[in-house]
Amino acid sequence: MAVTTRTRKSARRRQLEAAINYPIDWLEERSGLIGGLRYFLFRKVPGDTNWFHTLGSATLTAFLVQALTGVILAMYYQPDATVNPATGTSAAYGSIQHITNDLTLGWLVRGMHKWGASVFIILLFFHMARVFLFGAYKYPRELNWIIGVTLLVFGMLEGFTGYLLPWDQTAYWATVVGINLNGTAPILGPFLADFLRGGAEIGGDTLSRFYSLHMLLLPGAIFALIGLHLYLVIRLGVTSPPWSREAAGTDWNEKPSENGRSGLTQPSGRSAWRRNGADT
Amino acid sequence: MATTDEWRRQHQRYKEDVKRRGKPFYPYAMFHDTVMSLVVVSVIIGLAAVWYYTSGEDPKTCGSGDSCLLGPRYSEPADPATTNFVPRPDWYFYFLFYLLRIFKWPDSVILGTVGIPTVMLIIAFALPFLDRRMERRLTRRPVAIVAAILVVISMGELTYKGAIAKEALASEVVQAVPSWAQRQGFANNAEAVAGAKIFASSGCTACHTYLGTGSSNQGAPDLSAEATRGKSKQQLMAYIRDPSQFGNNIMPKFGFSDQQLSQLAAFLLASKGPK
Repeated sequence: MAVTTRTRKSARRRQLEAAINYPIDWLEERSGLIGGLRYFLFRKVPGDTNWFHTLGSATLTAFLVQALTGVILAMYYQPDATVNPATGTSAAYGSIQHITNDLTLGWLVRGMHKWGASVFIILLFFHMARVFLFGAYKYPRELNWIIGVTLLVFGMLEGFTGYLLPWDQTAYWATVVGINLNGTAPILGPFLADFLRGGAEIGGDTLSRFYSLHMLLLPGAIFALIGLHLYLVIRLGVTSPPWSREAAGTDWNEKPSENGRSGLTQPSGRSAWRRNGADT
Repeated sequence: MATTDEWRRQHQRYKEDVKRRGKPFYPYAMFHDTVMSLVVVSVIIGLAAVWYYTSGEDPKTCGSGDSCLLGPRYSEPADPATTNFVPRPDWYFYFLFYLLRIFKWPDSVILGTVGIPTVMLIIAFALPFLDRRMERRLTRRPVAIVAAILVVISMGELTYKGAIAKEALASEVVQAVPSWAQRQGFANNAEAVAGAKIFASSGCTACHTYLGTGSSNQGAPDLSAEATRGKSKQQLMAYIRDPSQFGNNIMPKFGFSDQQLSQLAAFLLASKGPK
């Protein structure tokens, strides 16, 4: 009796497993994506990766917050500098007021986008500092460092183009100065300034131009570069901290210092314990 | 400096080590990543909430009715006609913004706007090719450590200075006009006094200094002794009307009327330096 129940149950379980596995197998057979995901999740990283290594994914999270809130803002924002005679303000400024003051949780979406930009830039710099201090830009990761610096530049350009969009005094005059500064560059400067302005004066054309760059060209490029950045991280592996002896650039024959201070430049007691095979 | 073969051997060893003694990304590293990401999202939501709940619908109530801990929701609508607004970029451009106070138009301003930022960017891109040693421990990379500390200190200092730099409001500058007229001796020249008032109320002192008033920004020169530079009234008027015609792409066109331009030029020609 008990045996029959177990067999029936396990038959049902087998059916369930088959039902779950079928679409997974179907997708795997046709794309190899499941294998890729398994490789991504279960690939080995150095045993002594630590909180410093989370700065990259934290930056990615901040960018995804920007992407998501940006999509929602684009549903309500109007990149139109034309002054509405009824209200006396531009459509762009009016839509920013509407989003912030009237829409349900509009303040949260715009606030997260506005402050997420700063958090994103700060995390970019922290992540860059970590990579620099760990010497993680060295062979074979030179290309990934260059992609990272490009991402920093594009991130700051996102900040520059996004700053104009509320079309308030702060935005307008900061952009007047910013574009004029671009204009001082030799040879290319005046052309760049004209291109950014979309004419002789900063006006409606500048606004729609900045909006297009801010929500199409730059984020598209950033998404692509982040994809490449992550691909290289997975392909080349996560750099171990400079103080680790296994999986690192230190000499195998070199003894770790017995009386060194633990911390950023020396192995901490805990990682020494781990290194000796405690949890491998 | 390590040879290519040494690098390859080292990376091969790394791959073998990680394969043998590493831990899987999921769940170990992913746990840290998830916690950190939640912290990031919480901080962003927290900043948005503080910003929203300490500010009001009207930007004018900032400082009086609302504390505006993190600034207003928006400033006044953009108005190309008002010129008494102090331009200021977002905080992460303050270091560039402040850099421009160090260099003066027209001799060296290009160093601040293009020169130094471009050099810094090229160094950042080229870093993996400049530092080709295999050593990664900080205690054995004195040059890297010193460079990092210098960059952090200088960028921090420039950002801080840019943040605390306080530009006088036009209403405060206008009160200085009578003392300017007296010190420069143009109190009886009505056209020059009118020009001084335009100069004071149009935000010129956001970049130019005049007898110690205003803040030197974007490399703009001091104008206390502009008359001594030998420009005619027509030249000054043409320059202020459209600075870009004279290769100055930093100073904006302010859209002054001919009468205002004439008054401004008269004011500058009466500015022979304090006696």
